[in-house]
Amino acid sequence: MTGKKLTKGNIALAEGAIQAGCRYYFGYPITPQNDIPEYLAKYLPKVGGTFIPAESEIASINMVLGAGASGQRAMTSSSGPGISLMQEGFSYIAGSEVPGLVVNIMRCGPGLGGISPTQGDYTQAVHGGGHGDYRNIVLAPASVQEMFDLTIKGFELADRYRMLSVILADAMVGQFQEPCRLTPEKPVVIPDKPWALTGRAGRDQRLLKSLYLGPGEQEAHNLDLQRKYDEVKKNEVMCEEKLLDDAEIMIVAFGTPSRIAKTAISMARDQGIKVGLLRPITLFPFPERQMLHHSERIKNVLVVEMNTGQMLTDVRIHSHKDAKISFYGRPGGGIPFPNEVLNEIQKALEK
Amino acid sequence: MAYIEIDSDRCKGCYFCIKFCPRQLIAVSDKHNKVGYFPAAFSREREDQCTGCKTCALMCPDTAIEVFK
Repeated sequence: MTGKKLTKGNIALAEGAIQAGCRYYFGYPITPQNDIPEYLAKYLPKVGGTFIPAESEIASINMVLGAGASGQRAMTSSSGPGISLMQEGFSYIAGSEVPGLVVNIMRCGPGLGGISPTQGDYTQAVHGGGHGDYRNIVLAPASVQEMFDLTIKGFELADRYRMLSVILADAMVGQFQEPCRLTPEKPVVIPDKPWALTGRAGRDQRLLKSLYLGPGEQEAHNLDLQRKYDEVKKNEVMCEEKLLDDAEIMIVAFGTPSRIAKTAISMARDQGIKVGLLRPITLFPFPERQMLHHSERIKNVLVVEMNTGQMLTDVRIHSHKDAKISFYGRPGGGIPFPNEVLNEIQKALEK
Repeated sequence: MAYIEIDSDRCKGCYFCIKFCPRQLIAVSDKHNKVGYFPAAFSREREDQCTGCKTCALMCPDTAIEVFK
């Protein structure tokens, strides 16, 4: 099928997973990501895949670990509370160096929270959540098209670096509908996996584990992992830089707030205020170089998030030392209007 | 030739499409869908009269109608 089709974010993601060659889905229902298992339950068996409604999120993530260890593309999806339950599995997947994809369509928290859009899980996704010295690749789509494309990209990166890719989208990106091209940008290639556990017959033993008890073994393993993460940081940064060339103030936002910011930017430019946007698409690796480069020239930075300032910390760390950083955040399902962002732009410039 | 397809399991039976189709090509189905609504159904016999004007698809609150031209 060519051309675009009006598609819901979650459906685009699920279709992206099928087209990326994912044949195993394990999951437990939670709003606002239920369209993903609903779609995959219907369509995964039709392409020879397996859909398992797991008994809990803990089970689903460990099934992803198992399927991933056998060299198959596997995924699970959940939201806030479910992702919290999965953290042990995240850590084991990182330790055993198994690829996999986890989708977090964020809902409000803490606790059971609410089902409206928020970005409160940034810190959990980017800075850990599970135990041990590990990182996940974190991709933040802001449109239905990106839900599709970044899912395919997520599987690709997971396989390349043998680590977990996390799709971090808020409920709004998951739930709204937009025209979307439902064909991959380039043909999907699933690489050879010479480490996968496929049965020992006719070859040497392979072992995937996360337990290292010998003296120095764990340290060596950690340093190996760190070298891998450095490689990811060097090669895989993605971000959108919009209207930054002549900007006097730069907005940093990901996901839904970046779309709101774009409207606010055109409103501001109508009034003669030159505003630009830096939108990280990969949250890990964070666009550190771009952040430093732009904040060195554009001294004013406004971070807009739907939380109380989680990416703000990373922006502060990676901005130029002379940059003036302001923050506008709406936690708990509050969605800013473009004119509110415009107000914040004006306030930040007056400071 | 233009025609429409209605995702009957997504239809909740508001019948906006029936009300707004300029050629009255949509009617209420006599079979209920999996959630128990009687969905809107495209009349296949008069299919050749559909112009693909998309009014039904624009009216549908559940985006259950796909238009082919």
